[in-house]
Amino acid sequence: MLYVKNLYKSYKAGKTAYPVLKGVSLSVAQGEFTAVMGPSGSGKSTLLNCISCYVPFEEGKITLGGQELKGLSEKELAKIRNEKLGFVFQDFMLLDGLTVRENVLVPKIIEGKVTREDEKRCDTLLKLFGITYIQEKYPAEISGGEKQRTAVARSLMNQPLLILADEPTGNLDSKSSRAVIDSFLEARNQMNATIFMVTHDSFAASFCDRVILLKDGNIYKQLERLEERSLFQDRLLEAIKEMSGEVK
Amino acid sequence: MKKMAELERKLQKNDRHQAVLYLFCNFTALMLVTAYSAMMQSVTVQTVFPEGGDSRKQMYMVFGLTLFGCVVFTLYASSLFFRKKSRQLGILMALGASAEKLAPGLFREVLFLSCVSGAAGTAAGVPFVYLLWNLFRILIVDSEEMKLTLDWEFVWIPALLLIFTVLCVCLMAYGYLKRTDIISTVQEEHKNELAKNWGRWCGPVGIVLTAAGAVLGYFSPQIYMKTAKAYPPDWLNGIYFIALAGLYLVMLHTVVHGWRFGKKNRYKNLIARSMMKFQGRQTVNNLLVISVLIAGGVFALFYIPALGSSVFLTAENLEYDYSGAWRTDQQMLTEEEIRKKAETYGILLKDWKEEEYVSLGMGSRVETERNGKLYLEYREFASEGRFISETAFASITGNSVQVEPGTYCAAADQEEGSTLYLVQSADKLTNMTTMEQMKVSFAGYVYCNTLSHRDTKAVYVRHDQDYKRTPQGAEEQWRGKMLFFNVEGEDSYAFAKDFFYSCVDCFGPECEIPYYYDRVKKYDAERKGEIYWGDTEAMTPVSYDRPDSTDFRTYWAYMPKSRILDKNDTLPTYAVFFMMFIFASMVCFASALVIGYTRCRTVAVLNRYVFEDLKRLGASPGFLCREVRNQCGKVFQIPFLTGSSVMFLFFILIFYANDGKYTSSEFLALFLCILILAVLGGILYGIYQKTLNTVLRELKVGKVTEIRKAK
Repeated sequence: MLYVKNLYKSYKAGKTAYPVLKGVSLSVAQGEFTAVMGPSGSGKSTLLNCISCYVPFEEGKITLGGQELKGLSEKELAKIRNEKLGFVFQDFMLLDGLTVRENVLVPKIIEGKVTREDEKRCDTLLKLFGITYIQEKYPAEISGGEKQRTAVARSLMNQPLLILADEPTGNLDSKSSRAVIDSFLEARNQMNATIFMVTHDSFAASFCDRVILLKDGNIYKQLERLEERSLFQDRLLEAIKEMSGEVK
Repeated sequence: MKKMAELERKLQKNDRHQAVLYLFCNFTALMLVTAYSAMMQSVTVQTVFPEGGDSRKQMYMVFGLTLFGCVVFTLYASSLFFRKKSRQLGILMALGASAEKLAPGLFREVLFLSCVSGAAGTAAGVPFVYLLWNLFRILIVDSEEMKLTLDWEFVWIPALLLIFTVLCVCLMAYGYLKRTDIISTVQEEHKNELAKNWGRWCGPVGIVLTAAGAVLGYFSPQIYMKTAKAYPPDWLNGIYFIALAGLYLVMLHTVVHGWRFGKKNRYKNLIARSMMKFQGRQTVNNLLVISVLIAGGVFALFYIPALGSSVFLTAENLEYDYSGAWRTDQQMLTEEEIRKKAETYGILLKDWKEEEYVSLGMGSRVETERNGKLYLEYREFASEGRFISETAFASITGNSVQVEPGTYCAAADQEEGSTLYLVQSADKLTNMTTMEQMKVSFAGYVYCNTLSHRDTKAVYVRHDQDYKRTPQGAEEQWRGKMLFFNVEGEDSYAFAKDFFYSCVDCFGPECEIPYYYDRVKKYDAERKGEIYWGDTEAMTPVSYDRPDSTDFRTYWAYMPKSRILDKNDTLPTYAVFFMMFIFASMVCFASALVIGYTRCRTVAVLNRYVFEDLKRLGASPGFLCREVRNQCGKVFQIPFLTGSSVMFLFFILIFYANDGKYTSSEFLALFLCILILAVLGGILYGIYQKTLNTVLRELKVGKVTEIRKAK
């Protein structure tokens, strides 16, 4: 469903270009819950931002649902973001002036018009993620966990092909983190959503079907979950130790 | 809420604080520019300010500074608005809103805000002018000339600024919509704008450049005239931009390094300095604009003591309470009539002196302009001068002088402050009736404040024998008399006015001319078949119908001098000048204060999260208050110190450069300037305290007084 091939991206500081992604290739299947892990500066967020078309990339190919993203106009990219992608950010990125319910409806409002079916879907999502009781509240009036669950609900509003989540539990306590991960699992299990999550948190990553370890702009290792979650987390931690050079 | 338009409306409502700040900034900028341009272009000011005169140039210069400040200010306000707006735009883009989808709402919003605030500001500018000017008339001074009449052609200035601000804000909106890096758009608000991290050299170099720019800017026209033998072109004023570059470096040093020397307590201002550094680019720009505006305001304000002290001390230093001159062909009041008039006011006259003079043509080298080039050439009929004898001079001053035969001396004031316009190179004098010519040479100055060339024809002294020969055969229009007298005890202003008006009534239309109307030059022009420029519209006319007007009092060729009249009427005579410059300075200071206030509010808006973090780290309200004060203080303190000291030093330079020395009136003016700066400093401190409290309240730190009490 998502194919990334030889992705190359660098940032410029003055006249010097610093490569962040050095030819990353990966694929994500429909309904798969994938995590990307790696130390700071490994290129996790940049990879996500490139897939989201938030930042332009120099070389490589990204194909989403059979459509290649490079070369598309800003208008076409906006359409893809709106219809095929859902986003969850570390700092929630909710619009402060809108209520929880309105925030969830934003993708539909951007698309054109909110129909009765859309409102029903919104109610379903609010219920699914346990945030119905705060639907008339504003972001400033709710907790971090509630904000992130609102963001997850928003990301699913347009039934996207792929949900991209950048450190969704980064700003949350353990209880809220768990609630957000549960939201993703719900989305995957009940709606067959495909989720691509960047995280630092091995606990959150251990719920995924697959974890991609990124180091210095390259894929270091990919781990598939074959065992129970806690055992997968142990394996994951070992791999991270290995990547950081602590285990030989 | 189902549609994009509804969503945008709701978001706009939520962002109203930001919109209000933008509206306030744009409104204020447009209002101040409208007010200044309305006043500057008004019939009131244009009639009184002499065309091509220094005062008019200064008024335009201060306007230039105000316009520069307001333009930068509106751009700053727009960028601030978009910094806050960018997160919202970024989120909507991230969620799939295309530029086409966002454009109508965004353009509608910015067009509405900029047009409404700009139009309201422009509209408010006119009542603001009426209000302020009439307040001046009620509270400070009123005269016939102070009646405010606007020339509505000024409207094109604020209209252009309005179009400019609307265009800028639309271009900014377009720029945001065209961005492809959504993450950078979302994070725009928290983006650091580091100032150039140049070394500690930038402060001292900045000071040197500022001084060099001011000195070179001032002297370059003179140097140009001497070397290129032509009037300096306007672009030469661009040299002052060196001073602006210098000021920029000074501000950069202030933000990046600070001015504390030594390494004691190097961590004391670390946080405040870092915060300023990380928003350095805008901070430096803001400090520079505020400095320039304060310099402009101070420059306008200094005009008042500079002119006022000169007029006041000139009157104070006159040897006689009253003096006057008239042509013999005019029916001047007799001594008896003047004495009788004085008696009706209970005044007795004393020290009565009446002396003859003759107006002669003077041949000398003069600077003339042809095809833009300056030539120093000899003219047989270069100018007109009033000549008196040694004996007359001794009688008037009580001091005898020796003027060698065949020479002449020029009457100067005691401090030689008005010698620039005295003819010091005449080699030939001509009796303008008989055309008899006499060879002469300049023999220096003789001193008498009453006779010195101050707003009247220059007076020269000749050897008695030489003098006796000169008026022979001269027509009455080339001969005249001078009178001088004092009063016993206290003088009467009412008598002075009566005396002045009576004098005016004595003169015929042939004397309705300013002192720079030169009959000898007219003769010279006409004999060459040319039209004398004094007979064209270029000459500022004086009219007997308006004896209290600035032009008449300042320029009439036969204006009698009266100590009490000059002193009492200084304010009403120069009311339009004084009030216009007060007005200009108020506009400059208002612009500077609004920018300063907005900058301080920005400190609160942009650094809120830093202060929250500091609170979490256990920072006390006293500590937080100090950090805020360290930033806000600099916004007011540094531009005030820089702007005012630059202008003060510039005035010291101007005063010296005028005649190569300082006169008592210039010392008095400088002293008054210091007093003005002290008062301004006090007012600014009060406003700074108010602003500081607003910022502390916004950051939920508390009030300064409460924090001090808690300590």
